[in-house]
Amino acid sequence: MTLILQQLVEGLASGTIYAALAVALVMIHRATRIVNFAQGEMATFCVYLAWQMTVWGLPLYVALAIAAVLSFILGAAVFRLAIRPILSAPPEAIVVSCIGLFIGFQAMSLWLWGSDNLQFPRLFSNTIWTIADVRISANTAGMLVTLALLAGLLAAMFRFTRIGLAMRAAAAEREKSPYVGIEVETMLTLGWGLAAVFGFIAAVLAAPSLFLSPTMMLSVIIYALAAATLGGWDSPAGAIVGGLVVGVAETLGTTLVKAIGAELRLAIPFLLITLILFVRPQGLFGRSGTTRV
Amino acid sequence: MRRPTLRPALLGLAAFAALACVPAVLPGFMVFQASIALTYAIAILGLNLLMGFNGQVSLAQGVFFAIGGYVVAILMVDYAVPVWLALAAAVAGNAILGALVGIPALRLQGLQLAILTLVLAALVPPLVMRFDKITKGTSGISIDKPEPPAWLPLDQDSFVYFLCLAGAGLCVLVMSQLIHGETGRMLRAVRDNPVIAESFGVHVARTRIATFATSAAFGGFAGGLFALVNAFVSPDSFQLFKSFEFLAGAIIGGITSMTGAFIGAVIVVFLPEWSSHISLAMAGLIYGGTLVVMMLVAREGVAGLIGKTLSRAGAASLSMASQTKPHPKPETRTMVLAEKE
Repeated sequence: MTLILQQLVEGLASGTIYAALAVALVMIHRATRIVNFAQGEMATFCVYLAWQMTVWGLPLYVALAIAAVLSFILGAAVFRLAIRPILSAPPEAIVVSCIGLFIGFQAMSLWLWGSDNLQFPRLFSNTIWTIADVRISANTAGMLVTLALLAGLLAAMFRFTRIGLAMRAAAAEREKSPYVGIEVETMLTLGWGLAAVFGFIAAVLAAPSLFLSPTMMLSVIIYALAAATLGGWDSPAGAIVGGLVVGVAETLGTTLVKAIGAELRLAIPFLLITLILFVRPQGLFGRSGTTRV
Repeated sequence: MRRPTLRPALLGLAAFAALACVPAVLPGFMVFQASIALTYAIAILGLNLLMGFNGQVSLAQGVFFAIGGYVVAILMVDYAVPVWLALAAAVAGNAILGALVGIPALRLQGLQLAILTLVLAALVPPLVMRFDKITKGTSGISIDKPEPPAWLPLDQDSFVYFLCLAGAGLCVLVMSQLIHGETGRMLRAVRDNPVIAESFGVHVARTRIATFATSAAFGGFAGGLFALVNAFVSPDSFQLFKSFEFLAGAIIGGITSMTGAFIGAVIVVFLPEWSSHISLAMAGLIYGGTLVVMMLVAREGVAGLIGKTLSRAGAASLSMASQTKPHPKPETRTMVLAEKE
């Protein structure tokens, strides 16, 4: 029992990373009907920027704040330059464009910083609490709190601010929104920028445990895809729940099911995606779309 | 719709003859790379069939490629099966597997299928590691390249190249049988409007599954040939990146063009190679940048670009790109079945 509870806690910790990246994917999908396969690589690049700034002597949190702003600009710029011109293209063209971004950003990180694993500073203290034989680290708790805070902020922004409302409108009704004075393209650009910030946060949370390398987010994006599919591609809240579920399923599955084991841990997101697509294709929190004939 | 005339056939024959001269003209290592490019072209042809003529975006071509490679390697090394039989087994096995993947794919829309196949493709290396008793894990399997028969004055690499060329030629023939005439019209009808296709008596589900199976068989055949060319298979050869390359090659070349499949294959094989001469890390940057820029300026691929340029110059279109635009407007797509011969 203790083992299971312990794994549950570990799962929640990695689940926060998947959830944050899944939120980024879902935000982009909601706004532009695109799955940005390059999100993880863009985020890794920005974490490298933050790391570089700490090496230059900036305090960690200042470096992170600057890098978050830079990732917003990067996300917006990628949308303006590479995606917006082909927004109405068939999906396979956009997929290829995202693959290009994926390869490009990975190569850029490799070019500038090399392929060695770099130690990224921990964000939270090393304290470990023991509650009923279950060890909970301040790091895990910190990650969960960070995710909860950010999710709350995001939800509040979408719910209560004018700009949040405009962004939702632009995502839902791209053709009609201009009639009420919403600049759709600006809103979509904002959406891509915000998503990039969420991706960056996912990568920052992942970096201390995974070590910083150009391919750090390669497997994380697979789990995030599973999380977004599980939660539903139009629901940020679903993405968070999905991320946590995927994280817990991963740790529990690899410890409890011998046939999967540590080697086949990638099988778990695959099984989850398959299951959800056949049971409830729109995801747990997704609304099934109705198509006009 | 116009029957394939003599002209494309002649052009194809000329291209085939030109490709046959490659071993005589190019240095040894380029022959090796050209062979790799041919195997890629075969896999991309299969992907063209699935995406261009059936509208399903799949990243699983690398999976079938990997399985084909391992089937050939294991059969040849562990069971001493002759080359042609091992290749046939790779084709047959992947056709069955493709049909099995194709059945659930019926229920999935474009994006969902893309995600599922992406995760499946990422799962290949861990699966190879997990079943290392059969696959030998990271150490991989070395294969003896097939020996040229004594009466042929060819070295081994050239022989393998001609094997690939023959394979590619065969695939082009099969493909042109499929995409022209009755079957092709059926495929396009299912792609453009399944409901109307159904009402004209096309069995949509069966057509889709058959297309998936055929596409997978192409992928498996390509993988088997790749194992022969490379003389070695290991999880490193079948990373997720392989599926990316196939998809990129298919789109860059032109998704409904057979010529495009070859152009795309040459680009994804040689572009990283050439740009790595400039700088190893820059290779990825150039490669990725090219993909993004290609999608901005030439979304219908190189074949589409050439086709457009040629038709603008008043010449005949190079490929069947003119007949089959990737995504025609709804008004024009419904009449495909009703057209007279």
